[in-house]
Amino acid sequence: MDRGQEIPAPCRDPWHCAAMQIVAMGGGFSAESSPALDDFVLSLAGEQRPKVCFLPTASGDADHYVVRFYKAFGHRADASHVSLFRRERGCAGISFANHLLAQDVIYVGGGSLLSLLGAWRAHGLDAVLVEAWRRGIVLCGMSAGALCWFSEAVTAFHGPAERVDALGLLPHSACVHYDAEPGRREAYRRYVADGMAAGYGLEDGAALHFIGGELAAVVRSRDDARAFHVTAAGETPIGETALAAA
Amino acid sequence: MPRPERRILALGGGGFTAGPIDAALDDLVLELAARRDPRICFLPTASGDPDEQIARFYATYRDRPCEPSHLSLFRLPDNPVPLAEFLAGQDVVYVGGGSMRNMLAVWRAHNLDAILAACWRRGIVLAGLSAGAMCWFAAGVTRSTGRPEPITGLRLLPGSLSVHRDTQPERMGAFRRAIAAGVLPPGWALDDGVGLVFAEREVERVVGSRPGRVAVRVEREGEEVVAPEPLVAPEPPVPADIREWRAQASARTAGRAARARGRPAGGAGRAAR
Repeated sequence: MDRGQEIPAPCRDPWHCAAMQIVAMGGGFSAESSPALDDFVLSLAGEQRPKVCFLPTASGDADHYVVRFYKAFGHRADASHVSLFRRERGCAGISFANHLLAQDVIYVGGGSLLSLLGAWRAHGLDAVLVEAWRRGIVLCGMSAGALCWFSEAVTAFHGPAERVDALGLLPHSACVHYDAEPGRREAYRRYVADGMAAGYGLEDGAALHFIGGELAAVVRSRDDARAFHVTAAGETPIGETALAAA
Repeated sequence: MPRPERRILALGGGGFTAGPIDAALDDLVLELAARRDPRICFLPTASGDPDEQIARFYATYRDRPCEPSHLSLFRLPDNPVPLAEFLAGQDVVYVGGGSMRNMLAVWRAHNLDAILAACWRRGIVLAGLSAGAMCWFAAGVTRSTGRPEPITGLRLLPGSLSVHRDTQPERMGAFRRAIAAGVLPPGWALDDGVGLVFAEREVERVVGSRPGRVAVRVEREGEEVVAPEPLVAPEPPVPADIREWRAQASARTAGRAARARGRPAGGAGRAAR
């Protein structure tokens, strides 16, 4: 009776992929006072007043988080949110798929990556997000909401850091809070050395902008926030070349 | 050492999340534990770990003889615990209500479905209300997507369970239809404030904390209403300052009564004296 759905394979066609954008953030309204990363996301939408829908699933749809989202976006976007925990109230009968596919930006909040993926899959939301990405809706999020787009991620929740298979839109691995949680960084580097796909380490205050599956830019809300490319050979800071492309 | 008897308490609704009205059921949860001053862990997963529900849990169990704790699967915990070891160290695991579909999906993502089944096999009491009650059965009726629909549970207990029979008639209707159609196995429908105590996989007691509320056994053809064994909440302990005030007040009343007995009723009596 659970409605699991097949996730389509990531798009490999560069022409078609040109419109598909993901911003994996190590910050944003919920983590810092600077609006730089959120501004960047809105600038990608190409609308004067973009439609932005918040998915607070990873936090268990925490009320305070939803309120902070509306405070950050309500005055400059057509803001809404979808709750998977209060569907019997308010959302009954309304298709969240149709609502999400009508957005310019889908913004995923932080929390537990495992809980996020579990709840999404139970409602078939993972397939809806893949479709949204294919249609050119900008996908973004912070922390768990950044990790979810990659093929694999490292999460640290109730115990040591562990590998998690995520949605796989971006054919890389990822790790967040790279500066703040040294244990997580070490575990990530070890996993990649042991055969996990190469990927990205993201410090708080840095964001990665992907077009299709390729990294197009690193964006920062503070000057010293860094992003690293992590391969089996080790980690390299991503320099200004990538930033200049923004 | 004999294997401890495995017990599950399934509540149709209410309990501590409804306030003090079901205090007798809140007590029963602790009485079912194999030892005094049990360790009781609250799992608020089905509602997304809301602060308010967690606060109510602590408000209810802080002053009872037990060691309360809770486990969040959404908030990054201040002190992360290894889930399996932490739950194996409990005497009671109490599961809150909310979205059963979300709860089971999130549990599976954290391997908690297997961990909780192992807890039950070890003799740890499993208790819960609404989604937290239906989850132990083969199936239930969830409103996780809005309208009521059948959903598979963890299958620790046979049959199906529906909850909030008295307050959500549309859920009861869906339950009856699903059983009649053979979509769900026969089972129980519970009012708020009514609980089933299972020993192993059999119903041992039907209990209730509210007058007039019942359990209903629903078969493919026909239903049987079962009046629960009424549980009476013990008097809550009276704080020392209130006890003192009451003692003084009753002494004053006794004094006034004694003086009043000393004189006849009516104003004229005084003159006659």
